Amino acid sequence: MAEQRYFDDIDPGDEFDEQLVMETPKVLKYLGIPGSRLAGPNRFNDPEIAKRDGMPGMIVPGVMQLDLMSRVLNDFAGQEGRIGHMEVSFRRSVLHGDKLRALGLVTDTIPGDGEGTIRMDVFFENERGERPLQGTADVILPSRKD
Amino acid sequence: MTADQVPGLTYDESVIGKEVEVGSFTVTAEQIAAYCEAVGETSPLHTDPEAAAKGPYGALTAPPGLVHAVQLERGLDAKIQFPGVAFHAGERIESLAPLRVGDTVTAYNQVKEVYAKTGRTGSMVFEVRRTEYRNQDGTPVVATETSFVRREV
Repeated sequence: MAEQRYFDDIDPGDEFDEQLVMETPKVLKYLGIPGSRLAGPNRFNDPEIAKRDGMPGMIVPGVMQLDLMSRVLNDFAGQEGRIGHMEVSFRRSVLHGDKLRALGLVTDTIPGDGEGTIRMDVFFENERGERPLQGTADVILPSRKD
Repeated sequence: MTADQVPGLTYDESVIGKEVEVGSFTVTAEQIAAYCEAVGETSPLHTDPEAAAKGPYGALTAPPGLVHAVQLERGLDAKIQFPGVAFHAGERIESLAPLRVGDTVTAYNQVKEVYAKTGRTGSMVFEVRRTEYRNQDGTPVVATETSFVRREV
C-alpha cells in the first residue's frame, strides 16, 4: 500500500491514476469467488453468449469494474482512510483484454472532526479515449495531528 | 400493472418500495482472500489477520464490494414489459459499518423505482433495485443500488 494520505494535503484539482489491464484470468478469478452470483456460463465468460447478446466479445461485469475502482480508491485512502460511498454509471462495455486508466479527480474537500471528505469524479478511460465507467465518490481521509 | 408514458411499457407498481429478505451468508476468510486476489486488494486490513487485529476494526474485514460476489435471490419482480435486452447501467455502494470475518449478513432488497427516459435514440426504461445488508445485530453494513436499463431495439 502507498503511504498514508491526509485530508490537509489534498486540494481540488488534484488527480491520481492507475493503469489496469482486464486480463481474462483476472475476470475468471472474480467470477470464481466462492458463492459467486456470476458463476456459470454467461456473457462474462462465454464468447457465444456474449455474441448472442450483441457484444463484440466477452465483457467485464459492471460490479467488477466498480470493485476495481473501489480498490484504487482504497489504495488512495490508505489504512486510516475509507470510502464513504461511490456511484458509477456504465457507459460502454469493457472487453476482456482492454487496457484502462482509472482516474480520480478531486472536485471538493469538506473538513470534518479529525478527518475530512474528499469528493471526486472517478472514471475509466480506455485506449480509444472512451470513458466506459464514470461516477463520483467520497473518500474520508484523516486530518494531520499537529 | 401500470402503463407509463412510454408506449409499450407496463410494470407492476405495487412492488415499488416493498422490502423483502433475499438471502444471507457468513463472511469467510476464504471469500475475502479470493476477492482480494481478484481485484488486487493488498490492504493489510483485508489480507493480514495479525495486522488487521491491531487496526481500527480489531479484526480482518472484507472490502464492502464483497457483497457483489454473493449469490442472492432476485427479490420481487416488477414484471417490466418493454422490448430489448436488459443491461447493467449503474451501481452505487455505500459502506456503513465494518464487515468482519464470521459476520452473518442478511440482505434485504426492494425495487426502488422504475422510470423511463426518451432521447434522440429512442426510449429507455430503468429499474433501480436497492439492497441493504445487515449483520447479525441488525446493523446495516453495506447498501447498494443497482440500475438496469432496457433500451428500445
